[in-house]
Amino acid sequence: MNKQGFLKKGYVAVILVLMYVPILIVIIYSFNTSRLSSAWSGFSLRWYGELFRDRALFNALRNSLVLSLSSSSLAAIIGTLGAVGTERTADARSLRARTGKILEYLSLLPIMIPEIILGMVLLVFFSLLALPLGMFTLIIAHTCFCIPYVYMVVKARLAGLDKSYVEAAKDLGAGDWRAFYDITLPLILPAIVSGMLIAFAMSFDDVIVSVFVTGPDTNTLPIRIFSQIKTGVTPKTNALCTLLFAATVILCLASAALGKSRSNNRGI
Amino acid sequence: MKKNSVVLLTAAIFLIPFMVISGCSKKDTVKKQLTLYTWAEMFPQEILDGFEKDTGIAINYVNFEEDETMLTKLQTAKGGDYDLIIADDYIIETAIAEGLVQKLDKSKLSNYRNINPLYQGPFYDPRDEYTVPYGAGVVTLVYDPSRVSVNIRGYADLWDPSLKGQVGLLGNYRVINGMALKVLKQSYNTNDTAVIRQAGERLLGLAPNIRLIRDDFLEEELLSGEIAAAVMYTSQATAAKLENPELEVVFPTEGIGFGIMGSFIPSKAPNAEAAYAFLNYILDARRGAECFEYLGYYSTYTASDPLISDEYKSFLTLPAGFNVNMEMIQNIGEEAEEEHSRIWTAFRTAAGQQ
Repeated sequence: MNKQGFLKKGYVAVILVLMYVPILIVIIYSFNTSRLSSAWSGFSLRWYGELFRDRALFNALRNSLVLSLSSSSLAAIIGTLGAVGTERTADARSLRARTGKILEYLSLLPIMIPEIILGMVLLVFFSLLALPLGMFTLIIAHTCFCIPYVYMVVKARLAGLDKSYVEAAKDLGAGDWRAFYDITLPLILPAIVSGMLIAFAMSFDDVIVSVFVTGPDTNTLPIRIFSQIKTGVTPKTNALCTLLFAATVILCLASAALGKSRSNNRGI
Repeated sequence: MKKNSVVLLTAAIFLIPFMVISGCSKKDTVKKQLTLYTWAEMFPQEILDGFEKDTGIAINYVNFEEDETMLTKLQTAKGGDYDLIIADDYIIETAIAEGLVQKLDKSKLSNYRNINPLYQGPFYDPRDEYTVPYGAGVVTLVYDPSRVSVNIRGYADLWDPSLKGQVGLLGNYRVINGMALKVLKQSYNTNDTAVIRQAGERLLGLAPNIRLIRDDFLEEELLSGEIAAAVMYTSQATAAKLENPELEVVFPTEGIGFGIMGSFIPSKAPNAEAAYAFLNYILDARRGAECFEYLGYYSTYTASDPLISDEYKSFLTLPAGFNVNMEMIQNIGEEAEEEHSRIWTAFRTAAGQQ
């Protein structure tokens, strides 16, 4: 029994070390004086200073945040509507059910085809429509490959949902919209939020699709970092990673604290 | 709780169009803007800030990660959208051939005479009509004398059996295959497939000595002792040498390959005037020296050479009386290109670097 507990703890420890040591090293080397990360040559805040003077970098960060927030929100709406719609057709053994199935496969296409092809196709499409490349085209492209993430998560949640809730609401006189708004939506909201988070992460670190559809005014953060390979990645990037990581940790802690106080309230 | 989340969702829906609009309308508000399209970290922040302050032109610095991406974007924009582009030599040849580059009006570049004639009249722009060089990269051989018993003077020395498993190479096949071509006293740009095949066989003999082949962080591998000798890019050699001055930098006796980064103004640049202003700004001797020190590539301005500080001088300027045979890597025929990629694959496999 005791031995088993030790094994379990050891396993968890190994996983945690593998996951977090690289991040820790990135953080430590953001305080390195030297430009290279092979040698530690003293503590300094030099790279943070350089980071805050680099307006192009902050511009890219802002673009990336706007882009991923917009595209994940849009994907949340479209993906949820799609999941609810196809779920409704699912149990009827009709032509509609089959179309629903086909639609379902089609909607997963954007994450199944290689990103580089998706990017090229979108670029050709946009230039055919003579749409100027920029934030607008970026949002369309990112929404396109974000939808499946929301769709899949919400669909899974809907499948596990007891239909009698909605039926009960309708028995009590609620219309379709009212039943959706009062019953279905609150029940699937956690799924929407988690799908949106995945979509946000996917959009925030995408390079390949962005490279094709970005315009002359919209540099994104991943493109900028990726293009540093030519001249060498400096600890400025480490400094930025550290700040982003800190922001994520703070957000996680805040949401955990919020969730805790909320469940306490419910308990009373 | 339920109501709250609905409110949040509604807020999100309303926020999106606002964000889209704010993202799009930015373009019209900034009139005096230079859209600079190149890799990240090409200029020190002081130069960018100084330019904005002195001229009142805002710099919109956007990046690509590969030359080919740049060309695709430029083709899509039909030579518009971007004001000034800095890219590698071979891609500029294609861009000029496709009519995407405008001829320079040198009367607008009072500092034009600062350019080093060595880097003028390159294959991609033989009459210097379209481009201004910005930094040159020389394929460099660097080794750690404390860990190598041979006296490395040229590429051929890398074949020495004492270097077994200790050599690192950059991952550009034209450069590495070219190394074998140079050992065979051939041109980098030969179109003779028989010669290329011969180079491939020669290259297989180098395989046992190879520890790794990669484009990034080679300098770190050399500094940490993972490898003892490396063929690397100039900026990496500079970084390594700054960290450990004991390292030896060799100009191989067989001759060296080099590449130039060229700056050019696209044919339909929205604000060509700003591009001229910026070009002239960095062509200044002092500012040029600052740029090359930051960039870690060879200075392409003669006037900047004396201003480069001693710490950097030996690897940012070519030594006086420099007479090693230099050759640029150019675009070659399709068949030769295929042969190159074939021998490269065979070499990588033999070296266990798939």
